[in-house]
Amino acid sequence: MVFIYIMRIPRRRLTAGLLLLPLLSGCFASLGDGSAETSDSSGSGEGGRLRVALAFPPTQNYSPYGYDAYNLSRLGVAEGLTRLDANGTAVPALAESWSREKGGESWLFTLRDATFQDGEDVTAEAAASALTHVAAAKPAPAAISGVKLTAEAVGENRVRVSTGGADPVLPLRLTNPSLAVFSPKAYGKKGTVNAVGTATGPFELTEVTGDRSAALDRFDGYWGGRAQASGIDVRYVSDGTARANALRTGDVDIAEAIPVAQAASLDKGTVHESNTARDTSLYLNTRSGVFTDPGLRAAARAAVDGATVAEGVYEGSAEPAQGIYGPAVTWAAGKRVQPSGRAAATDPDGKSITIAGYNDRPELAETAQVLQQQLEKAGFEVKLEVRTYARLEGDLLAGKFDAAVVARNMMTDTGDPVTVLDSDFTCDGSYNLAFLCDRDVDRLVATARAEADPAKRQDAAMKAEAAILGTDAVIPLVHLKAVTGVRASVQGTRLDPYERELVGVGTRP
Amino acid sequence: MLLAALVGAIGLLPWLSRTDPALTVLKARSADRDPTPETLRAIRAELGLDDGPWVLLGRWLGGLLHGDAGSSWVSGAPVLPGAVQALGVSLLLMCGALVVAAATTAAVCAPTLRLGARGRLGARRPGGTATAVLASLPEFLVASVLASVIAVQLGWLPALGWYGPQWMVLPSLALGLPAGAVLGRMLDDLLPGAFAEPWAMAAAARGLPPRSLARQAVRRCVPGLLPNLGLFVVGLTGGSVAVEQIFDIPGLGRLTLHAALAQDLPVLQTGTLALVLLAAAAGLLARIAARLLIGPALRDGALQSLHRPRPPAPRTLPLLHGGLLAAVIGAGLPRDPLALDTLARLQAPSAEHPFGTDALGRDVLARISHGAVTTLGTALAVSATALVAGLLLGLLPRLSGPLADTLSAVPPVLAGLLVTGIAGSGPWTPALAVAVVAWSPLAAHTSSLLLQERATTHLVATRALGAGRWYLLRRELLPAVVPPVARHALLRLPGVALSLAALGFLGLGAQPPSPEWGLLLAENQPYAERAPWAVLFPAAALALLGALAVTAAGGVRLPRRRTRSAGPAVPPLDQGVPPPRRHPERPDDLLAPVSASQTDER
Repeated sequence: MVFIYIMRIPRRRLTAGLLLLPLLSGCFASLGDGSAETSDSSGSGEGGRLRVALAFPPTQNYSPYGYDAYNLSRLGVAEGLTRLDANGTAVPALAESWSREKGGESWLFTLRDATFQDGEDVTAEAAASALTHVAAAKPAPAAISGVKLTAEAVGENRVRVSTGGADPVLPLRLTNPSLAVFSPKAYGKKGTVNAVGTATGPFELTEVTGDRSAALDRFDGYWGGRAQASGIDVRYVSDGTARANALRTGDVDIAEAIPVAQAASLDKGTVHESNTARDTSLYLNTRSGVFTDPGLRAAARAAVDGATVAEGVYEGSAEPAQGIYGPAVTWAAGKRVQPSGRAAATDPDGKSITIAGYNDRPELAETAQVLQQQLEKAGFEVKLEVRTYARLEGDLLAGKFDAAVVARNMMTDTGDPVTVLDSDFTCDGSYNLAFLCDRDVDRLVATARAEADPAKRQDAAMKAEAAILGTDAVIPLVHLKAVTGVRASVQGTRLDPYERELVGVGTRP
Repeated sequence: MLLAALVGAIGLLPWLSRTDPALTVLKARSADRDPTPETLRAIRAELGLDDGPWVLLGRWLGGLLHGDAGSSWVSGAPVLPGAVQALGVSLLLMCGALVVAAATTAAVCAPTLRLGARGRLGARRPGGTATAVLASLPEFLVASVLASVIAVQLGWLPALGWYGPQWMVLPSLALGLPAGAVLGRMLDDLLPGAFAEPWAMAAAARGLPPRSLARQAVRRCVPGLLPNLGLFVVGLTGGSVAVEQIFDIPGLGRLTLHAALAQDLPVLQTGTLALVLLAAAAGLLARIAARLLIGPALRDGALQSLHRPRPPAPRTLPLLHGGLLAAVIGAGLPRDPLALDTLARLQAPSAEHPFGTDALGRDVLARISHGAVTTLGTALAVSATALVAGLLLGLLPRLSGPLADTLSAVPPVLAGLLVTGIAGSGPWTPALAVAVVAWSPLAAHTSSLLLQERATTHLVATRALGAGRWYLLRRELLPAVVPPVARHALLRLPGVALSLAALGFLGLGAQPPSPEWGLLLAENQPYAERAPWAVLFPAAALALLGALAVTAAGGVRLPRRRTRSAGPAVPPLDQGVPPPRRHPERPDDLLAPVSASQTDER
């Protein structure tokens, strides 16, 4: 009974709060149509709705020019002229076929019969205009940065795409989700793109609730046939534990990017591992500090052991690294070149180094600590610097650390193996964390970049890889696997090594 | 003025911390994107960054006058609708948390109220351990446990989202329980004083029902807590990032955190502005409520002191807590806190590893014990600084009131970033950043107690006898105010230790593999379900520290048989206050007998 009086304590605030309640209840998010009673009830008997939890909320209101393009691609909303298959080659999407012209300075794409989700036909005019808009975007999407892209319609159903110089990998570039084709209606005056109901994929974005959630309906006019699921309810849950919880409570059918720490608490049948092109590597600063000495770099390479990291930190959701390209890059296995010309290891003799790492992915902080112990055993004195990535990158690119543990997608943006070598390991590279500037490497990368034939390009890339590994500027540790949580009843989830697909025509709740 | 300084400081943040906003905005948009010079240049041009901070700030303020808070640098969407919605969500969550906090406070104070209203406070057992433990539980731990046990395993309540009232329960509990424990402890500290006042005795003698007596006692004590309640309201609205993350709630805490990390200034400025306005409103409400409750008494100087000097009531409990803590620390010292063994990861407690192992196979006991010195040292230093600053500034309520209100609205991460920007990044930066914020609840507590103390009858009498201001301050005000505020500071000690660790992810403070306690908790949090021991033992150590701090505040007594001498009307209180030192040998100390007769209840 005493309790009743004490409720007086914050009574004023409490009454105010209670009065506000009806006002504030508008602040609850809406669940979206039918997402509460999914699976069996909605969708007139043919395929229920899928409930998906994605990790990265849209940052730019589904503008295809940034990372949101990957979300659009993973949800089967948007597609471009070409598509990247699991082997890393460009295969037909909106374009049925293509051919090289003028020694690779331009390519001619023949479009298939397709319709936009707003009912318009996909014409050569529309496709060319879409690509022209992408080329004008600022900042330019990563896939075409440094390329002068122009597109023009040729007749009814053909598009000529030209680049300033010869570009042997243009079809690969066009697989990038940023180069998706939207209906003319989608393009606004200020360079904005509205992806709601204007794309060509099997699912149509119908309702967007900020960066919290979105509702998608099946697009019946999709050229590749009707999707099995009648729609998708997407929720963006940035916390990994929360995503795992959502799957465990049955709130969602598919949850992507389950953290290693949570994978063990899910039912065995719901955990799906797939290879990705992501590596965790140790980059050694070759420009300043202790690791300018190749002998010490060799000593560091000899000291670290990727297998311990793969088992001890990633609990098997990673494989010890074989090189820069892992098992997700399927063609790499048969083409490996042994690194040569490595320096002999010298005694570290208690030299002090600082390793940078970031904690946005908890495994990286743990990896850094494992490396610390391994390197200290070898005779280095190791200090760690772990921050959130946004606070680290400036210092990282300024070369303030002796080494950095970084997880990096080695086939980012284009699916072309040379792109990442170019940006990460050449003198002018934009993300050269090792500050490597080696004439031999530059030459080999340049050779690979100019190679048009896909197989020969891959060979050349592997040669450059061997040369890079020969400098010991980078020590690949593990190849990462993605863990996707999928309810046992869901079939046909597409687990893509390039992280561009998740839900497709054949995905069934 | 303060508001202008704060908004200005946020506007200058990237320039102060020398971190290119184009880079952070790019990373917020897409983490995998390489920061080529052309890309950064394009973003700079898009955002108009080259105009410099002052022009940008001016433009944002100009827009604000027309009700336009600008567009987010990251998404390009207008800021205001998103911020208003997030504020609404956070306010709702805060209301839920307050309800839980009120219930917790009620539970904490119930024994004192029941006994006090019947005049049997002497029978009260000096408690406080349970409350102190509850108060020192980290919110994220409570949230993780609730989410995995109640939501996932039992399936009673939804685990994540924000779609209706049943989604409010768990987050409100996670936020409200620790907050309620702190408030309850503070109230429980004041109540015995109220029951010992003459009106209470008179009312009891007159035969008023205990219910009325209890109600009046609460009413008598609440004004001293109101400023702190106001700070809680603001803190819960803007600072519940961990809980928002675990339950996936789209609140203001996460909004401002992401904006601070991405240096998305329009969003950050708007969010902080909203919090500051809320803080101002809460502060004003608290002041009005205090006036309504005890206004006439304040005006007429007709209050009794709630903090009479009385002999300390030493306890044996702190010896127990301290001994336990020392035993744990001693047992772990010979062990190696850094030795990794990834083959022995996440092992349950055993003879070899009494507290189990963490995710990298390190001995948890060793880490707790080796981390104790740095954790306790820094946290104690920060708490002491905050206590001194809080007391001094609390003496100047005109200055500290608005300052505390404003500071309480600054999200901790933002405070960390601002302090780093201004003071640079050094070993003392995190301590400084925490201390900058930690003094404000103590100052609010001090000034609200002072306000009441100044209006007490014995002070009026002392003043009438010609006592100077300095004498009053030294002999009357401080002795009355310092002990409860010091106990309050001790109660917040574990919280300080956690805040210190929370700045680690900005690259401030302890870095792995250091076994600092906050860091231990943070790095083992993802494994909370698989290896609960790796989180629970550090949390228990922290809770033990909290219990030790709170119980030891009353002094320590060696175990011996207790002698009950207290009559019903003379409650010997556990919160011992050292008696003010009297100097009868000093001839100028003529006032002492007078004040003693005023303060001595016998």
